[in-house]
Amino acid sequence: MPNRRYETLILIDIEQGDAGCKDLVARIRTLAEGQGATISQLQEWGARELAYPIGRQRRAYHVLLEYRATPPALAEIERNLKLMEPVLRHLSVRQAENAPPAVNRAMLPVEPPVMPRPRDVEEPAGDVGNGELNEGEGV
Amino acid sequence: MPKPERERGRAPRRGRGMGRRKVCRFCADKVMLIDHKDGRMLGSFLTERGKIIPARVTGTCARHQRHLTSAIKQARTLALVPYQTTYPQ
Repeated sequence: MPNRRYETLILIDIEQGDAGCKDLVARIRTLAEGQGATISQLQEWGARELAYPIGRQRRAYHVLLEYRATPPALAEIERNLKLMEPVLRHLSVRQAENAPPAVNRAMLPVEPPVMPRPRDVEEPAGDVGNGELNEGEGV
Repeated sequence: MPKPERERGRAPRRGRGMGRRKVCRFCADKVMLIDHKDGRMLGSFLTERGKIIPARVTGTCARHQRHLTSAIKQARTLALVPYQTTYPQ
C-alpha cells in the first residue's frame, strides 16, 4: 500500500474553550497514529478570525496536520473527523513528495481577517473583448 | 512652445491597451507559491466582492490561474477567504 504525504487543516469550534480544543487535538493525533500515520508536523494556529461566520462562530481554532499515511488510513481519519462535532471544517490535501514543509502561520505576525483590497482595476463589464470600444474616433 | 503633434491632456495610447505588459506573478517570482492556506495571498486575486479576478486582468498565466482558482475554492471551504462579501455601507 503506498504511503503518501498528506496535510489536513482542521477548524475546531472554540465554544468548548482552550482546554477542550487542546483535548480534541490530542484525540485527532491519536486517531491518526492509530491508523498508522507518521505525523511530521502538527501546527496549532490557535483561534483565528473566519472569513465568514460558520454557524454562529466568527472565530475558530485552526490546526494543521502534516503526515504520511496510506489511502485507506486517510479515509478512516476523514470519516472520524466528520463524526467529531466540534470540528467545523476540515480539508485533506495530498502533498507533492518534494514539497517543502508547511510554514507555521502561527509564528507569522497576526494577519488581519482577509478583506480583499479594493480593486485598482474596474470590474470588467459583460461585453469585454469584442473589439474596439468607442474611443471617440469616428465622427 | 507646446508639442504640436499631440492633443493636450491625453497620453498616447496603443489601441486599447495601457502599454505595460502584464506578467504572471507566479512565473516571475518562483518563491511565491500557490497555497490554499495562504488567505492573504489569495485575497489579492479576489475582487472586493470576493469574486476571482480573471487572468485577463491580473496577467496570471493559464497554468497558474488554474492552480489559483482551485486553491481559492479550497480556501473558501475553510473560511480563509470569503465566498462573497456585501458592500460596505
